[in-house]
Amino acid sequence: MSFLSIQGLHKRYGATPIFSDIDCEIAQGEFVTLLGPSGCGKSTLLRCIAGLTEVNGGRILLDGQDLVPLTPQKRGIGMVFQSYALFPNMTVEQNVAFGLRMQKVAPGDRDQRVREVLELVELGELAGRYPHQLSGGQCQRVALARSLVTRPRLLLLDEPLSALDARIRKHLREQIRRIQLELGLTTLFVTHDQEEALTLSDRIFLMDAGRIVQSGDAETLYTTPVNAFAAGFIGNYNLLDADSASRLLARPVNGRVAIRPESIGIGGDAGIEAQVRGHSLLGNVIRYRVEARGVELLVDVLNRSADDLYGDGQALRLVIDAAAVREVA
Amino acid sequence: MSRADVTPAGVYHRAVVYGLFLILLLPLAGTLLYSLATSWSATILPEGLTLKWYLALWSDERFLRAFGQSLVVCFGALALSTVLILPLMFVVHYHFPRLDGLMNILILLPFAVPPVVSSVGLLQLYGSGPLAMVGTPWILIGCYFTVALPFMYRAIANNLQAINLRDLMDAAHLLGASTWQAALLVVLPNLRKGLMVSLFLSFSFLFGEFVFANLLVGSRYETLQVYLNNMRNSSGHFNSALVISYFFFVLVFTWAANRLNKDKP
Repeated sequence: MSFLSIQGLHKRYGATPIFSDIDCEIAQGEFVTLLGPSGCGKSTLLRCIAGLTEVNGGRILLDGQDLVPLTPQKRGIGMVFQSYALFPNMTVEQNVAFGLRMQKVAPGDRDQRVREVLELVELGELAGRYPHQLSGGQCQRVALARSLVTRPRLLLLDEPLSALDARIRKHLREQIRRIQLELGLTTLFVTHDQEEALTLSDRIFLMDAGRIVQSGDAETLYTTPVNAFAAGFIGNYNLLDADSASRLLARPVNGRVAIRPESIGIGGDAGIEAQVRGHSLLGNVIRYRVEARGVELLVDVLNRSADDLYGDGQALRLVIDAAAVREVA
Repeated sequence: MSRADVTPAGVYHRAVVYGLFLILLLPLAGTLLYSLATSWSATILPEGLTLKWYLALWSDERFLRAFGQSLVVCFGALALSTVLILPLMFVVHYHFPRLDGLMNILILLPFAVPPVVSSVGLLQLYGSGPLAMVGTPWILIGCYFTVALPFMYRAIANNLQAINLRDLMDAAHLLGASTWQAALLVVLPNLRKGLMVSLFLSFSFLFGEFVFANLLVGSRYETLQVYLNNMRNSSGHFNSALVISYFFFVLVFTWAANRLNKDKP
């Protein structure tokens, strides 16, 4: 039986539905990501699970107990916000201890647990600082410590990395994953960043316009998108309509197809004739914009050496593996 | 000395600032000197210096009573404002954020109606009947509350917007705090700065208020400004001492308030 089970959950503001008929099952200790563009309802779903926003129907079962009638205080859920939401009038230590104070944990026990959790997020030496004396990354680690110290049954992370710069984001996301595995904590993570979702999650729920479009592990989502939205949101798929696809592949195609840029091979003597229209360097990968049979495509190749670089306007040949061509709804 | 100070533009800027400062300070310096002079009429400088005007003032029982009564009215009005406005602000910003627009119009009303006009209305309303308060300090406390309202509301509203109220409340709730605990332990301490600033601003303003005090209460409950008005025919030296004392009190009060506010984060 699953640990967290969401059944037929729906939410609307006035007549506008935010999400409807959400069903999902999450196992204990699983790290699940809700991925989707802004406005798809993922954050509202998270707030509903936390009890911060009321739902209009459906059930949320955590360990067999229906959470819907419970206040946020009684749900035993920890949450980290994009804005950190640290209490500015309290030191790091007081922030972390707040939840334990509310639970009336004895001061001795409380101090020990605060110390332990601050060590866990590697902030032991900053215990006496105020939030305004910390960097963004440190603030978010304090927020994480604050939500972990009460030993929640479920941890919710609402875009916790979005306000941070790239380097810190990468580091913190590894730290979050390490702690989550160490504590075996069931975690729901909300993000609009596909890279975060793909690297962190055991499983991903892809959301669009208030519905779960596809769910599965990173590999499944990346290689087998179920529809054009999924293909467009994850990776940098080349999405072609039936006409263009038929022309490019020189065979009749019935629907839209998606082709991953890195599945197209270039540089051989055989294949479809094409011309380079432009290129951009993405570090270890070079992304070419090429035109073949009147269809524009993105092609990613590994950046091995400067000698291999094709100049703009240069002619080349493309090899498109039939297995990499995916028909999408 | 930094480079900006010696360029012609720098000198000019400094000259303007100091010149303005001097012009603003001149009347005050004149009043101070007059309050310290034995007699100053037909000469360029006073004939002699004395503290007798201050001694006379600070041993005048009527002055001391007016001073105390001014304090009572001001603190009363500010206490009422704090008790009413803080919970109101919290409710508006947390539960009914849409009411903020209405509140912004509402708090402009005390500015829209000149004191002379609104005191005529207040005299009508509270002159007789079950709420006959004219001539008592109570009407001043109530009236000063409305005068302080805009200052208090704006300062606290800015403060509330700066602290991200909703996320703080949500975080506190999830950590097990009730709404009361969250408001008292998390929100209120973070409003201290805005509250203090608006209280001191309102205090210095209300302490010098004359129109309402004179029209609604007058000599029946003499405040400092009304006392000053009633003493206008007595010695100018005496009145100068009064003005300087008043000014000095507000100055010290404001300075102390700033000091208190600066230390903590």
